[in-house]
Amino acid sequence: MKVSLKWLQTYFDAPLPPAEQIADALTFHAFEIEEIQGDMLDVKVLPNRAADCLSHRGIAKELSAILDIPLTNDPLRRDVGTSYVPTSLTVEIEDPKKCSRYMGALVKRVRIGPSPAWLKKALESVGQRSINNIVDATNYVMLNIGQPLHAFDARRLKLEAGCLKIGVRNAKQGEQITTLSGEAFALNPSTLLITDENAGAPIALAGVKGGNVAELTAETTDLVVESANFNGTSVRKTAQTLKLPTDASQRFQNRPSPELCAYGMRDVLALITDIAGGEVVGVVDEYPARPETKPVLVTLARINGLLGSSFSRDEVLGVCTRLGLETKSEGDSFTITPPFERTDLTIPEDFAEEVGRILGYDRIPAAELPPTLGTPDQSRYRGIERMKDQLVEQGFTEVSTQSFAKKGDILLANPLDKTKPALRTSLEQNLQEAFARAKQYAPLVLAPNQKPKLFEVGTVFQKDGEKLEVKTSEPVSDLPEIRDDANYVPKRYELGAYKPFSVYPFIVRDISAFSPETGEMQSYDPTQESEFEKLIQESAGPLLIRIVHFDAFQKGKRISYTSRLTFQSMERTLTDGEVNGIMEKVSAMLHTAGYEVR
Amino acid sequence: MSTTDSPHPGRLHPITITVREMADIFGRMGFDVVQGPELETEWYNFDALNIPNDHPSRDMWDTFWTKTKGGEERKVLRTHTSPMQIRWLEKQGAPTRIVVPGKVFRNEATDATHEAQFYQLEGLAIDTNVTLGHLKGTLERFCKEYFGNDAKVRLRPSYFPFVEPGVEIDVWFPAQKKWLEVMGAGMVHPKVLQNAGVDATRYQGFAFGLGVERFIMIKYGIPDIRLFHSGDIRFNYAFNEKPV
Repeated sequence: MKVSLKWLQTYFDAPLPPAEQIADALTFHAFEIEEIQGDMLDVKVLPNRAADCLSHRGIAKELSAILDIPLTNDPLRRDVGTSYVPTSLTVEIEDPKKCSRYMGALVKRVRIGPSPAWLKKALESVGQRSINNIVDATNYVMLNIGQPLHAFDARRLKLEAGCLKIGVRNAKQGEQITTLSGEAFALNPSTLLITDENAGAPIALAGVKGGNVAELTAETTDLVVESANFNGTSVRKTAQTLKLPTDASQRFQNRPSPELCAYGMRDVLALITDIAGGEVVGVVDEYPARPETKPVLVTLARINGLLGSSFSRDEVLGVCTRLGLETKSEGDSFTITPPFERTDLTIPEDFAEEVGRILGYDRIPAAELPPTLGTPDQSRYRGIERMKDQLVEQGFTEVSTQSFAKKGDILLANPLDKTKPALRTSLEQNLQEAFARAKQYAPLVLAPNQKPKLFEVGTVFQKDGEKLEVKTSEPVSDLPEIRDDANYVPKRYELGAYKPFSVYPFIVRDISAFSPETGEMQSYDPTQESEFEKLIQESAGPLLIRIVHFDAFQKGKRISYTSRLTFQSMERTLTDGEVNGIMEKVSAMLHTAGYEVR
Repeated sequence: MSTTDSPHPGRLHPITITVREMADIFGRMGFDVVQGPELETEWYNFDALNIPNDHPSRDMWDTFWTKTKGGEERKVLRTHTSPMQIRWLEKQGAPTRIVVPGKVFRNEATDATHEAQFYQLEGLAIDTNVTLGHLKGTLERFCKEYFGNDAKVRLRPSYFPFVEPGVEIDVWFPAQKKWLEVMGAGMVHPKVLQNAGVDATRYQGFAFGLGVERFIMIKYGIPDIRLFHSGDIRFNYAFNEKPV
């Protein structure tokens, strides 16, 4: 949710702190901030708060509670009234489970046109585009208090006996709609529609997007304004099926309170008549399914007992006041009735969270768990680790490969890689591929006479279920079954520093040389071999990434040393010519030092 | 004269080494290691964890579903190790303390920091009086032992349907002078305890879930998560590994 600081400021008499402080306050007490861009904060509203906080009012209320500064002129605490002037507009809701409330207003003689500068600026400050004064008014009120709204051209709806009739019903098989953006959709019967009942025609995908049938135009003078509450599941399904996520669908799928409809209607009608003139002829309010707000009983002991805190009664009451939660307290018990928009607060634990986050989790002391009795049973895990240790001892290196395969008994409905739509039935294929590469990479990591040997322990998926498989790249005669082992202590290693490796090909060269003549009989000397290798390293430069002892033997009075050299660049593929050049330099250096290169 | 007669031992995978280290640290705090299935039912992976069907909270996980024939129950590749909270509590009841290492799956495009499969380590501690303060203390000790004594831990508000309160855990790295988000955690939701047959009026506790690869990447500066499950032995040997 993009919020504008200037917009938030309209909720406070006192000047708000700078953007960074606001971002910190929200981060540690409410929501993460994705980004700050001048006057704009992108707030990552958590899913459980999307019902009330996908709005400037919601974020302002949070700030008011966190910073303990009063919210002035809260639109949700201003009376909306309950009686409306009846009008020649009727609404019929087929299933109250899918639409708990539908308010429609008939507004006549508006002048459609560009929005005033303040409204354009406000919308642009949160990345929205200005369209016309009517559409902008509906968007502004939605971004301000969270209620999605829509305006239809009333004169494009069919009058029958002097009445307009709005329907809220499921689509009929084969019914179609073209949206405001011109996309046509064939609908299935689970799609909830807003219809012009007199014409029998769909005019909007309920809670998702308007249709082009009753779209506003430059000639529009009369409006039907909608402020409704549609079922979150239904809206979510439609938006997902049609791949049409909108600001409205995002809000409805998070189930805002239907009470909010009246506030949205009040504010949007006031704004429309203010900036586009016209007259509200009347409002219809079909409200078949009112939510119940239940008080929740919470005790101070429960709050502190869950958080591990020692907050006082007064601190808890302070949090309730700051959040605007109607609270009756008796001793250390609180009976809390959240305001209608806080649909997320239903159990005592919810209130413990409110207390913890508003007062700050930094105030909760870290505590160690008390010691447990008895030794933990880890025999299955230890048994598996024992098997791995045995294989490592026998020279096997453990690899981990992908669980997806070209073929298998269990197929995925939605594979990521279409060429691997199945789950592996065996580790065999992956291990063979890993082994082929291991042979190729051996000169980079293994000793010259060390044969690559690999194993994997992993889950495989067969017709009769999943099982743990152990696979080795060559047969192991005494490989035992994995057995539970309560007493085995897995070997511990420390992963030391990590040295990134190159993805480019490498080149291997051996170099052999006789030690310098001394006239004396020489014998194999590790110190001399180190010097030999040092000379090579110095002359070869940084492209030599590995040098290992390969061979050493006596001939005559001298010793022959052979080393295996591996060349590789982090940035590019080396050429033979380049490595030949290096080898010549190495030979020259050895020669200067008295070695006879073979 | 030859120095190559003795057989060369192989190397464990860095995840195995790390899970052993983590299991050791939590083991000293009384946690058992248990493991669970990778192919899960929708109930254990979602519904039992208070993530109902067609609820926006399901969008938090990009899920792989199995293809089914008529009448078959569709299954999921577990999107987290959290289903083991339910399975273990059903089997073992409370009080309990476990960690659950294991492979999990997310159906999202892969890049240097995202893999479709990775390892999580789930933690669960249930008793009559386990608090959010215990969560803080446990994870603080864990992070100090894993990352080093200078590491500090802080909690931020967050939301996961199976915990209430829900928090995000950040760790302070003095060398880099910054806080990094390392895991989600919280107090187990009473509905989750009820779904596992545990008396939620008597028992409470915390749960957390960390990404094993992410911990290794942060500690050792690994540039790309895709190295872990590539089957490439150069990755094992890129560490200057020593027995402890």
